[in-house]
Amino acid sequence: MSDLDSPSPADALDGASTVEVRTSASAALIPTIRAVASDLAARADFDLDAISDLRMAVDEACATLVDVAAPTSWLRCTFLVRPERIEVHAQVQTKHSEAVVSTDTFGWRVLQTLADDVTVHHDPGVDGAGPTVGIRLDKRSGDVMR
Amino acid sequence: MTRADPEYGHLSPLLERYATLPVDHPDREKLRDELVRGFLPVAQHIARRFSNRGEPLDDLVQVATVGLINAIDRYAPDRGTDFFSFAVPTISGEVRRHFRDLGWSMRVPRRLKDLHVSINSAVSELSQSLGRAPKPTEIAERLGVPVSEVLEGLEASEAYRSSSLDEMLSSEQGSATVGELVGEADAELDRVDFRQALRPVLAELAERERTIVLLRFFGNMTQTQIADRVGISQMHVSRLLAQTLDRLRTRLDPETRVG
Repeated sequence: MSDLDSPSPADALDGASTVEVRTSASAALIPTIRAVASDLAARADFDLDAISDLRMAVDEACATLVDVAAPTSWLRCTFLVRPERIEVHAQVQTKHSEAVVSTDTFGWRVLQTLADDVTVHHDPGVDGAGPTVGIRLDKRSGDVMR
Repeated sequence: MTRADPEYGHLSPLLERYATLPVDHPDREKLRDELVRGFLPVAQHIARRFSNRGEPLDDLVQVATVGLINAIDRYAPDRGTDFFSFAVPTISGEVRRHFRDLGWSMRVPRRLKDLHVSINSAVSELSQSLGRAPKPTEIAERLGVPVSEVLEGLEASEAYRSSSLDEMLSSEQGSATVGELVGEADAELDRVDFRQALRPVLAELAERERTIVLLRFFGNMTQTQIADRVGISQMHVSRLLAQTLDRLRTRLDPETRVG
């Protein structure tokens, strides 16, 4: 998750159009983030299934993260728009390093179905930075029948 | 459906008589009732054609009936057109107007509402011919409008009112619900480890929501395939899925999601 911890544009860009949205880690703001997700996918000419899948996946990922986020912390969501796919990194600070996102849940199943690739990253935090949890999604623009 | 149609043939002379009666003639009311009753199946038939777009069929039948009454009032037999060729567009027009005006939960400009309707039909045609969901550029090409307009239209679609989740495929008595027509996804569910937690929550969902969730997440079907199977539009599947996931999220004990 180093690219999120030190989001220097040079690292993050690598040829992709990058959009980053940062909100309070509050469920009420997730609709804003998912609207950004579906707008980016529509403008990247994803097929309608893929647009809707990405929208729901971002919704699910953010909701999962907000659940484990430390109070008054940030939710940071970065979209890397590449040809034919969008990569999403969503990340929150957690209060304890034991706060984890488990992968044997229905929510995880939903993410696996909606995204082409999904991984979770736990970072215990170093040098005074708090522990973080991130979910990384990869969504292709369509074509592949799933 | 022509004048020779045995089901409606007997109504033709009544139509002609109705058209010639002066507005204040005492027989008019009775004759009109008889005509409306007689042609009601036509209105019901047209309403049913619009029934998979997220509006309750009962409402559609009412709107179509208003269209039918207008058609009966305005029909002029002496112009030589057959009643049906006049009534069918009049009734469908009334139903279309209903969709355009009442189906929106947010104020959306008329232009976008019309675009939403064209996009919807382009999506279903293209899905058929492509075998997958279309892209905004493909929709734009089909409609002959700029991609930017399609993007706007798709965004506006988000404001389309959500519909009842318990809607039947048709409101006729004994009609099958979606869940009765599709069912094999349950086998997939058995292979999921957390089914203990999920099963009771799924059981609380309406038949159609459950079916769509199962087909998407345990039956490995795309939204477009589900739309085809269940007989509603892809956009409708998308809305139902999003709503249902939201509900599941609040219903599933946080313990089962976050370890």
